[in-house]
Amino acid sequence: MNASAAAPVRSDLLVLGAGPVGLYAAYYAGFRGLSTVIVDSLPEPGGQISAMYPEKPIFDVAGFPSVRGRDLVAGLVEQAARFDPVYLLGHRAQTLTRGAGPGITVGTDRGAAVRCRAVIISGGIGTFTPRPLPAGTQWLGHGVSFFVPSLQAHAGQDVIVVGGGDSACDWALSLQPIARSVTLVHRRAAFRAHAHTVDLLRRSAVEVITDAEVTRLLGTDALTSAEITGRDGSLITRPAQAVIAALGFTANLGPIRQWGAEIVGNRYLRVDTTMATNLPGVYAAGDITDYRGKVRLISVGFGEAATAVNNAAVLLDPGAQLFPGHSSDTGPADAGPSAGMPASTGPASTMQAAI
Amino acid sequence: MPYVIAASCIDTMDRSCIEECPVDCIYEGSRKLYIHPAECIDCGACEPVCPVEAISQDRRVPAEEAEFVADNARFFSEPLPGRSEPLGLPGGAANVGPLGVDTLFVAKYEDD
Repeated sequence: MNASAAAPVRSDLLVLGAGPVGLYAAYYAGFRGLSTVIVDSLPEPGGQISAMYPEKPIFDVAGFPSVRGRDLVAGLVEQAARFDPVYLLGHRAQTLTRGAGPGITVGTDRGAAVRCRAVIISGGIGTFTPRPLPAGTQWLGHGVSFFVPSLQAHAGQDVIVVGGGDSACDWALSLQPIARSVTLVHRRAAFRAHAHTVDLLRRSAVEVITDAEVTRLLGTDALTSAEITGRDGSLITRPAQAVIAALGFTANLGPIRQWGAEIVGNRYLRVDTTMATNLPGVYAAGDITDYRGKVRLISVGFGEAATAVNNAAVLLDPGAQLFPGHSSDTGPADAGPSAGMPASTGPASTMQAAI
Repeated sequence: MPYVIAASCIDTMDRSCIEECPVDCIYEGSRKLYIHPAECIDCGACEPVCPVEAISQDRRVPAEEAEFVADNARFFSEPLPGRSEPLGLPGGAANVGPLGVDTLFVAKYEDD
């Protein structure tokens, strides 16, 4: 997306990380009357849940005896949507700079900029980077991709999906009715995906090749086929105009490391009881924070999000009270569109609907 | 609540788990791999890929292998043989590379 020429997106608060804690922070910021921008390096909201275990049931969210990962994310997105946050998804926060005034500007790797008054870093275990497909490096972006933002883009294609997790299996199943053919290649016999999904896959028209890897991609101008090598040395070729590498992610703190915040154990940000980092106007919440007695659970992260936002609200308006009042007293403050999915509103917004 | 690698990894070291770990918290000794208990995020991605089923959650480690829970931690909290400082929190195995050395417990471990 060409956001480089765009003027900065302006907001009261910038939330870095669209995982469950960041989404809840966006809701809370809206409740406090703050406008919010949410930045995340992944193309869909949900952070670790969406990237690693969308199908896992979660048992420790208050009020939900059991909630499936992707359902929790959808609920959080809907809850935040009431206040119309602006999403910059697929953007990695890169730089944090200050002018003479109290404002903070955060720049992204794709050239977008957000000008805000306070930042909440809800970056979890850091910024996610898709694991590369070694055979596909030179085809990246024109044949090989890490995500499926649009199923229809693969209509009529021969598609090879590589991987054994939920994303790989879900994409293979969803593409099967649309693509000409779908082949799933996994380097092991055991799948990490949910058993029910694997079952559906086995009974579908998707060709499943296990104990094998995509070792070579062939084509002149465009990708035409893939060589698949079995663990036993056998070699087969399948037609392919698209290869989707769903090999999981690695995560690390990334560029945040350079911002001057106090870092603990190489991966956490030290915060005080207000969730403030040592950088003025910069707060943190969720798995990324560290303090004495820290417990890294989603339920703790939700509480930290509320603490961070309410303290940030007082920083931005010293006349405001720390305690926001009860949500049940005020009701859903004049609800905007309560769509289930994030709405694109800002000029530099590159929001894509969640898959 | 980290995951723990136990006896069957010794002298196997398949390393498939290293490929799966999203936070690079599995470190390589000489005979065995070790999960950093403070860096593991408990996601479980490593468990199903181990061909010798050496990996389990710390509270589900079989009783006869319970010592491996403490031993995985010791790999980081106590100086390894030949070193004066413990590894501590390197923040990712890639930052230190293969260590080429084991805890005394693993170095002396004999399968029976």
